[in-house]
Amino acid sequence: MVLLSFKSGSDMSFPIRGFTLDWYIGQPSSYRYGSEWISVFHDTDFWRAFRSSAYVSIAAALLTCFIATTTALALRHRVKGRDLVFYVILLGFVVPGVALGLGMVFLFRFVGWGFTFWTPVIVDVIYAVPFGLVLMMARFEPRLMEYERAASTLKASPWNVIRHVTLPLIVWEVVSAGLFGFVLAWGEVIRTQFVIHGTGVLSTYILSEVGVRALSPKWYAAGTIISMISIVALLLFGWALSRGTTFKK
Amino acid sequence: MLLPGLVLCVLFLIVPFGLMVTISLYQNISPATMVLSGFSFENYIGFFSKGTSYIILANTFGNSLLACLACLLIGYPFAYLLSYSVKNEKVKSYMVSLLIVPFLIDTSIRMIAWIPILGNQGAINQLLLSLHVVQNPLSLLYNVGALQILWLQGYVLFMIFPIYLALNRIDPDLIAAAKVLRASPQNVFYYIVFKLSLPGVICGCIFVFVSTLGDYITPLFIGGGIQTLGLSVSDYANSFAWPYAAALSTMLTGVAIAVLYILLKVVNIKELIYER
Repeated sequence: MVLLSFKSGSDMSFPIRGFTLDWYIGQPSSYRYGSEWISVFHDTDFWRAFRSSAYVSIAAALLTCFIATTTALALRHRVKGRDLVFYVILLGFVVPGVALGLGMVFLFRFVGWGFTFWTPVIVDVIYAVPFGLVLMMARFEPRLMEYERAASTLKASPWNVIRHVTLPLIVWEVVSAGLFGFVLAWGEVIRTQFVIHGTGVLSTYILSEVGVRALSPKWYAAGTIISMISIVALLLFGWALSRGTTFKK
Repeated sequence: MLLPGLVLCVLFLIVPFGLMVTISLYQNISPATMVLSGFSFENYIGFFSKGTSYIILANTFGNSLLACLACLLIGYPFAYLLSYSVKNEKVKSYMVSLLIVPFLIDTSIRMIAWIPILGNQGAINQLLLSLHVVQNPLSLLYNVGALQILWLQGYVLFMIFPIYLALNRIDPDLIAAAKVLRASPQNVFYYIVFKLSLPGVICGCIFVFVSTLGDYITPLFIGGGIQTLGLSVSDYANSFAWPYAAALSTMLTGVAIAVLYILLKVVNIKELIYER
């Protein structure tokens, strides 16, 4: 795919002849119309979708961080109904994508809200929180609760316990849950497809474009750019996870 | 502390699902006002009285099960290698990135990326034609095989990750003890490693099964429009036949939840995450 994106000429076959950056930054040609022949750099719709994708994914990542952390911390205690809550949250991932998307359409129509920036964010968060939750619960420092208890025995206020004991110990898990949320939101297309507004996010924009446009190396160029973003996010994720473990050892 | 998670799930998970079930029990709905009329089970009865419905069901579950199996066959050895054979951290991280990169490629791009490889003028066909293995290009795209390749590529990570977690939790002393007691390598693998990694296997199967159930885009673009339940949901939803689409997605969700429930009865998934 990366190779094809540098390919000159418009046919799509191996072996690859010629090297060009035209599909990335080339000027729009005057004799061919349609977005498949515009280079990625000059495709304004692409960049609009790129921007909204970035905003949506960042918002989804932050929300995933917050919700996964609070839930994971609460679920450590053996409270009544713990399993039920855990399963309900897991449902966000288990409910098939189409069904969740359609359900959201129903909800928003019923309440009378339009689709805004926040609708894809909510859908992505619902999808990402189970992952974040499982990730955190699997990786929490085993003696975290003992430290917390020690702090509260020493009369630290609940807020101070969280601020000065819990959070510093789990900060990298929180960060990695957020980054994973970002990656999932960045690539999610099935659920988002139902609830977008405007140009939509990147994944839905590309889907609708390749559905109607001719195949051209431009899409591989676009794909390379999109994938680079999530690869960088994932490298950060791996780095955050390893920080979490080395920090504790 | 539970509040944010619960609010999110109740508001945007339980309520939409409730609405979906409700709408599926009515005959008509006006998309503008959302007024329901004509209470009946006709949507469900209608579905099960059509002969094509059974083909759709077979397609849906057959393909998802096949995807589970394929992911398990590829994923288990991979997870095993990752947790036992590869000691070098660097090699390990390269293996993991090799695995994750395809997962990160955008779904649509991942689909079209296969066209130059599997297509009629694609690399495989060119090779076969030039070697005179075949006379006419094979049609490798737009069928179940292509669909399975795409799903494997996209979802094998969901299989490997929980298996890897489960394998890592196995006490190495157990394996050492079995070896001391002269268990054969096959027996060590089957009675200790495999049995103790079952929660991970089940977890991975659930992940792959429900993900493929809900994916209608890959069957549409690469599966040659093979009729699955998910695809029908999106078709009916797009033509505003909402009650029927709601009935179909209620069934889809019901099956996903049932599978989850049954499998959770068999193994304790929480072993993977609670109490170490």
